[in-house]
Amino acid sequence: MDTVESLPIVSPILRASGLRMRYGQGSGIVHALDGVDLDVATGETVAVMGASGSGKSTLLHLLGGLERPSAGEVWLAGRRIDGLGETALARLRRTAIGFVFQAFHLMDELTAAENVELPALLAGQSPRAARRRAAELLERVGLSHRAEHLPSALSGGERQRVAIARALSNEPLVVLADEPTGNLDSAATLDVLRLLDSLRTAGQTLVIVTHDARVAATADRLISMRDGGFVEETRLTHGSTGRLGELAGLEG
Amino acid sequence: MGRVLLVCRLAVRDLRRRPAEAVLLLLAITAATATLTLGLVLQGASAQPYQTTRVATGGPDVVASVVASPGGDQLAALEALAGAPGVAGHSGPFPHTRLVVKARGVTTVAWTQGRGAASAPVDQPKVTEGGWVRDGGAVLEASFAQALGVRAGDRITLGDRSFQVAGVAVTAAMPPYPKICFSPCMFGEHQMAPPTAPPVSAPREDVNFGPPGPNGLLWVTDADARDLAARTRFLGYVMNLKLADPASAPAFIDAHLPTSLDTPFLASWQDVLYGHNKMIEWKQVAMLVSSWLLGMIALAGIVVLVAGRMADQLRRVGLLKAVGGTPGLVAAVLLAEYVAVALLASAAGLAIGRLAAPLLSEPATGLLGSAGAVPFTWSTVALVTAVALGIAGVATFLPAVRAARTSTVLALADAARPPRRTAWLIGISTRLPVPLLLGLRVAARRPRRTVLGMAGIAVAVAGIVAAMAANAHRFEEKAPGADPRTALSQVLLLMTVMLVAQAAVNAICITWSTALDARRSSALARALGATPAQVSAGLSTAQILPALAGALLGLATGIGLAELLDDDPVTVPPLWQLTAVVLGCVIVIAGLTAIPARLSARHPVGEILRTELT
Amino acid sequence: MSQAVGVSSKEPSDGYQLRVVREVLLALLAKEASHGYQLRARLQLALGPLAEALNAGQVYVTLTRLEKAGLVTAERVGQTDRPDRKVYELTAAGRERVMEWLDDTSWPKPAPAEFHLKLVAAAAAGLGDPGRLVDTQRHAVLAGLAAAQRAALAEPADSTAGLLLEGVVLRLQADLHWLEACARYWTPRKDR
Repeated sequence: MDTVESLPIVSPILRASGLRMRYGQGSGIVHALDGVDLDVATGETVAVMGASGSGKSTLLHLLGGLERPSAGEVWLAGRRIDGLGETALARLRRTAIGFVFQAFHLMDELTAAENVELPALLAGQSPRAARRRAAELLERVGLSHRAEHLPSALSGGERQRVAIARALSNEPLVVLADEPTGNLDSAATLDVLRLLDSLRTAGQTLVIVTHDARVAATADRLISMRDGGFVEETRLTHGSTGRLGELAGLEG
Repeated sequence: MGRVLLVCRLAVRDLRRRPAEAVLLLLAITAATATLTLGLVLQGASAQPYQTTRVATGGPDVVASVVASPGGDQLAALEALAGAPGVAGHSGPFPHTRLVVKARGVTTVAWTQGRGAASAPVDQPKVTEGGWVRDGGAVLEASFAQALGVRAGDRITLGDRSFQVAGVAVTAAMPPYPKICFSPCMFGEHQMAPPTAPPVSAPREDVNFGPPGPNGLLWVTDADARDLAARTRFLGYVMNLKLADPASAPAFIDAHLPTSLDTPFLASWQDVLYGHNKMIEWKQVAMLVSSWLLGMIALAGIVVLVAGRMADQLRRVGLLKAVGGTPGLVAAVLLAEYVAVALLASAAGLAIGRLAAPLLSEPATGLLGSAGAVPFTWSTVALVTAVALGIAGVATFLPAVRAARTSTVLALADAARPPRRTAWLIGISTRLPVPLLLGLRVAARRPRRTVLGMAGIAVAVAGIVAAMAANAHRFEEKAPGADPRTALSQVLLLMTVMLVAQAAVNAICITWSTALDARRSSALARALGATPAQVSAGLSTAQILPALAGALLGLATGIGLAELLDDDPVTVPPLWQLTAVVLGCVIVIAGLTAIPARLSARHPVGEILRTELT
Repeated sequence: MSQAVGVSSKEPSDGYQLRVVREVLLALLAKEASHGYQLRARLQLALGPLAEALNAGQVYVTLTRLEKAGLVTAERVGQTDRPDRKVYELTAAGRERVMEWLDDTSWPKPAPAEFHLKLVAAAAAGLGDPGRLVDTQRHAVLAGLAAAQRAALAEPADSTAGLLLEGVVLRLQADLHWLEACARYWTPRKDR
């Protein structure tokens, strides 16, 4: 069976260079990505921001090996992955990458716990170990009491927290989140942001694509995308709350 | 006019959007209509060939036969029968013997009856080919001639003499080869009288009864018959009786039961008819049963396809309603689609049925009636078309009603039917290797579809096993030459081929729907780290497991079916054949499902998840 | 292009002056008389992390002014082990002032007009690239948003101050949306 490969932790853990992605052909060709370079350091949280259609989801799919680029390279943990076959990519996803989707993409017929334990089962862990890990993760996202509920019985925020727990199942090197708050209201967004922030604090490498400035603002680094390319990069320092009073209209 | 154009355009667009599904639906409905056509046509073909033959040949009501013993008074006994009350006429007694016949490399045994050149008032065999008996020229009973494969003009050997085949004739006095039977053989329900007195004579050591086994019937001249009887040291007599009341033949026989081998044995025309009907019955039952089985499988396939499309169509209905289409328009579009498919399918089914019918509608051998005279009436066409349109109507009606009831918003939002949760199966699957885990869960998501798939396979295997059992039974006691009873295997073979084809179409339909339905969860499993091989193996497993269960169920049902349909004790086909059927079934399903499963598993995950989002 | 932005290091040495502090203190006294210390604690609870920057003496200075204006009365209460404390109570005039404040619907001045005019003027005078101005402003707003969002995340789920921070976050988010529209408009394009 598949053994859990241990990939070396190198920095940058994730690197993309000259990434291009074209869809369609002839005159209907669409350049979803047009030459993108990106380095993500271990433990870093990077947010990629842009309007819909700016190519940010495509970037995430390429980084996670869900699609293969038309040109360019993707390196994960010092290993080039853009040329790997589907099977090798699947094994890589199993051990090194956790996905979080806008639409949650939970299996509707499985309970929260069963959804969370699925990646571990796919990775060949014993049912008992997978179940134990799922319980731990649900505890971590604060949903132990909802473990036996079906997704249809959970709120949007709870579903996304289950999805995040699932993404963490195999202790991935990188968690890739695609609009994790896109389908959530303000309160649920805050819950998910808290969870993502706790991952960041725990040293989890995170790449989040979003069009929500609130999500982006919690990252270490913010990259803006327009028309399939990066237009600017901003490093957000975690400093004092000094100007908040002014922002809140406390002074006059 | 504009509305009609719009409806047609929308219908064509929808069919072209999912061409594979449209083709599968067409195949499934075609198979059902073809079977129905065959069934209808064959029912009409089974007229009354025996009665026709009986009238044309002056068929006897009672046939009396006896073995002559040296110095015996058997002829007098037969004469006494001719004068018995209730007898309206007779022919004979004709001398006959029983001898080895060799023709075209086949060796068998035949009753050889001596006849005059003049026409007999009762049982004058009707020549269908060549001429009547002449010295050195024999006339073969039709089913016997067919079994030996000889025609007028061929040469055959009777005992140690060579004869030319003068002609071929049919008779209503005997059932077909190899069940021809004269004294001392007995058939029919009336046999020996209870032994009230000790046998009149000692066992007959003076007579050579010839080799045992299947018997044919042929006629030679009176002189030739006596010559052959002398050579084989076996002589008997046959007399054909006409009764005033043909219906009283069984009662007549009861009144004249033989007391020993020295007294005549009697057989009624009802006994003969039973022998003939047996042949026709087998074919009819086989066709009837197979058309039922095929219909069941076709229905399962259609249900799966229509249900699979329903979710998709519900969403379309929502779209159409959202832009102002009325439920009526929506229903019209659906109806137009299905009516087009149904009409095409019924035309194809009628054509196939029409072409295949002559292969099966041949009248029972040994009787009058011509092959190929298949009644193909307008009512058949109308009925088949009506059934196809009925399927189209039901297929339209359900989504149309559901769509009319569902609010537009709901139809747009909740496109897919929520999958079922079968907790115990999910629990079990946790302990299994990844392909089985995925497969079981896919199967558990749609329990009704899984059951339909299982039922389809069970029905097909039951049919195949029943055919095999019937075949095994026929061949177990097969007579030399082309035993007419094995002509049934032709029907059985056709039935098997159609069942296999239909079950294959069905399996493809089900896998296709499953693969479509499981698109998102498969893509998701791959995003979570399942390899394409594991996912496609999972999809195949989801079909193979129910197929295996269905095959085993079908095995038992098939043997039960054979038992039910056959009067004789059932012959269970050899174990290797049964194993081969089950294994073959699983292998075929694996092969058929591998392609759609593989195709769906190769699709880039990102693309699927993206399209599922929008 | 890459640049690092952070929350401005220029912090007022004496902390913020709370603009509506008079009205707030009056309103807090409307139910019952309180010490200055209690009033300050309630303000801190409502403002959460924002209260850190609050000028420590403002509450006491303001209370003294209110007493002089006749809106509150103060009574000295003796304590055994500490200096005496003042307990403040609302007067009728003070109560009237509170009601006026609660009925007032004026809203803090929204930023767009000023910034919009700045961009138009800069473009007209050729003094600077409006696109650049927008970018700088965006970074400033983003930095503010980041600070506010982090502060919001640090608050417990049912905190009163968290609600204030959410308000800050949502307004800054709206400002960012508008700045994106500005960027699209003022970024030089070939067809204009």
